[in-house]
Amino acid sequence: MTSIAMQRRKATAGRVWRQFRSSRQGMIGLSVLAVFVIVALAAPLLADIRELNPVFARAQGNPQWASPDQFGPLGTDYIRRSVWAQFVWGSRVSLFVGLAATVLTIFIGSVVGIVSGFIGGKTDGALMRLTEWFLVIPFLPLAIVLASILGRSVWNIIFVIGITSWPSTARLVRAQVLTVKQRLFVDRARSLGAGGGHIVGHHILPNVSGLILANATLAVPISILTETSLSFLGLGDPGAASWGKTLEEAFVNGAMVRNAWWYFLPAGLGILAVVLAFTLIGRTLEEIANPRLSGR
Amino acid sequence: MRRTVVLMAVMLLTASLVPMASAQEEGVILRIGLTQDWETLNPTSGFAVSEYEIWNIHYATLTNKAADDFSVTPGLAESWVVSDDGLTVTYTLREGLAWSDGEPLTAEDIAWNINTGRDQGWDNMYSTVQNLDAVAIDDRTVEVTSAVPDPKLPTLDVYLVPRHIWEPIATDYDTATQYDASDFVGSGPFVVTEFNKGQSVVMEANPEFYGWEGDPPYDGIVFQLFENPDAMVAALQQGQLDAIHGFPAGSAGALSADPDIAVVAGQQGGFDEIAVNGGAVEGQPHPALLDLEVRRAIGFAMDREAVIEDLWFGLASPLETMSPSADPKWLPEIPEENRFTYDPERANQILDDAGYLDTDGDGVREMPDGTNPIVLRHAVNTDGDLAGPIGDLFAGWMEDIGIGVTLESYDQDALFGVIVDGTYDTFWWGWVPFVDPDPMLSYFTEAELGNYNDANWFDPQFDALYLEQKEELDPDRRVEIVHEMLTILHDAAVYFPFYLGPDLQAYRTDTFEGWVRQPAGVGPVMFSNSSPSYVLLTPVDGAGAGAGGVNWVLIGGVAAAVVVVGLLIAVRRRGTAEERE
Repeated sequence: MTSIAMQRRKATAGRVWRQFRSSRQGMIGLSVLAVFVIVALAAPLLADIRELNPVFARAQGNPQWASPDQFGPLGTDYIRRSVWAQFVWGSRVSLFVGLAATVLTIFIGSVVGIVSGFIGGKTDGALMRLTEWFLVIPFLPLAIVLASILGRSVWNIIFVIGITSWPSTARLVRAQVLTVKQRLFVDRARSLGAGGGHIVGHHILPNVSGLILANATLAVPISILTETSLSFLGLGDPGAASWGKTLEEAFVNGAMVRNAWWYFLPAGLGILAVVLAFTLIGRTLEEIANPRLSGR
Repeated sequence: MRRTVVLMAVMLLTASLVPMASAQEEGVILRIGLTQDWETLNPTSGFAVSEYEIWNIHYATLTNKAADDFSVTPGLAESWVVSDDGLTVTYTLREGLAWSDGEPLTAEDIAWNINTGRDQGWDNMYSTVQNLDAVAIDDRTVEVTSAVPDPKLPTLDVYLVPRHIWEPIATDYDTATQYDASDFVGSGPFVVTEFNKGQSVVMEANPEFYGWEGDPPYDGIVFQLFENPDAMVAALQQGQLDAIHGFPAGSAGALSADPDIAVVAGQQGGFDEIAVNGGAVEGQPHPALLDLEVRRAIGFAMDREAVIEDLWFGLASPLETMSPSADPKWLPEIPEENRFTYDPERANQILDDAGYLDTDGDGVREMPDGTNPIVLRHAVNTDGDLAGPIGDLFAGWMEDIGIGVTLESYDQDALFGVIVDGTYDTFWWGWVPFVDPDPMLSYFTEAELGNYNDANWFDPQFDALYLEQKEELDPDRRVEIVHEMLTILHDAAVYFPFYLGPDLQAYRTDTFEGWVRQPAGVGPVMFSNSSPSYVLLTPVDGAGAGAGGVNWVLIGGVAAAVVVVGLLIAVRRRGTAEERE
């Protein structure tokens, strides 16, 4: 039985991959994302981390506010640091925070959604009231307050994003669980004597996992944007070079007025590209999981 | 997410409309841009530079300060006599003084302010009036007696509030300091008519002010708050403002290039420093910081010249000791060999000699017994302009001498709490001193530990000298004592001032003329100790009320914001429609 299930799942994965490959937008998203993942992983090869240290930059004799043709490949900032080094090393923080916060978001959201949808009754009521409570709290102010209370570190940012953005996932998963629960095979399993844990693990979870995956890919860009917003508002980790921090420093130090486009454009385009890539992938997965969406 | 973006676009829209609204004031208005908000206009309790500026204009003082050198000049008092023992000063008021609401301003008002400020302990007056007692002899004569020799007299520059309004309100410290000062009755050249917190303060000429010869030369002043300093610079360049205070150093070049704009880098003793936790009270710093040699090594490892060059574009000037006054005469000369001049090799040598070695080869030194790596908690003030880059620089400097740094961010209020608790190793902040050095010096005494003493350090010798200067009536001797105190503080290596930081100001030369710098030659033209410019300014002939022309950039910006908001709303609608199906 297990091997049959395994085979079936393998076949499903193969089918999903074939469908994904045939989707143009999905493949564009995937290749853009691949480029950024490679940049993030290969950061030590692409740029010297010491270039992020303004004392080192000054000792190297880097100019201030140099444009890309004066100092390759992307110029320097207001304290002589290489913008290229900030871009490369910043991609690590932005991607890491985006992914880690999404994992946390999806984990909390799925657990709440499945428990709530499957058990129902008073538990459902209590959990959904909690979810609604989180939904109506204005998201950004709550994140700002949490970030200022907890202090500014990468892990706190991940925690803040996770704790504030799970409710919509929880509601989506709960709705899906409610429909799956009504299906015949769940009744069948139950009449064969299966316990709650078995039903959730073997019947419910496989049927909502597609939705969770699609939802996760769509949650990543929101997490990345939130990290950027928080860093831009000065609530980021002061020791970590992220794209949001680059944008904040460029803004605060008047890069716009100076027309120092090389300072803010790479980070801005980087965020745009990664967010777009994840959205394209997420949409494609969503269409595969729910064919009714295609063609819209 | 979307809602916040819509909100931001709306905020952008309103923010860009604000300067237009204030430009619709009638008459000839002086318009000033600034970036620091007002918490309160109550002169007994506020402390922000922006608030002092309003009080400087709104309230006349008993004696005034000369624009050139802060020397004492007549104010509400036209003359005074000092008794032989120097303890009593008898002031004679000008004739016919009145508050802006027409009520007479008499010696009773003055005496009530001094005595009530002392008894109720008003924050902003107390250090001046704590030992004084005032008696109104008649309507125009007030006699002030000090219980101890007081080198500050006959200067009496506290803000005087109208007794006929304040007496029923200010019954104790809490009622006095928490009053919102919404009566707007003053005695200065201009008085407040509108206070919009977070936006603007509107003032109009006070015909009762003693200093006007004939009609006031212009009708009012509007202080306009800007969230974004770049927008403020642009508003000055476009002629929507007549002057700005506190623009970013990076904009100095562009502003100087405009023939109709004058740029002022005004020195009035303000400075920024890296303070090291001296460990005098609990909340102990890293144990290495208790060793003078380690603190000295930190001093030699910091490249203060680089900060002046890169972050101030050369507009700040070097500073060796804490600056206690707007007057540079109080600063001692530190011998060349004792100065903390950037020399990382020497810093490394000092640490090696003192036995702080990197025994496990991880690039960070340990204590002499080989334990407890030296990693410092550097507090970054997120409300401070340069705190971010200084944090990065400090980490870099320390890395070069084998000391680790973790950056911890706090906003201004939180940082104040951290300093009081002593749960930090180093931080970056700044001060703007008064004219008399006494308050700044008091902050480094034992009595201020856990309060204003942000070095968390004290020295009995320093404290003894502090008490000595406080009652020293010989001005030259007092300067000597202060020099000695500052040298002690310097040699203790707990407080590293980086530079005398200028107030960066700019004003249009085609709208108003007559700006004066206080002190002469080096000081700022506004936001100074007594801000003398406002009485002396006159509109430039034919300039009218400034640029009334259509501002296409602004209109373009508003139009763009409207389009963005529209798009977002449309996107949002579609979003909900999709979700609904």
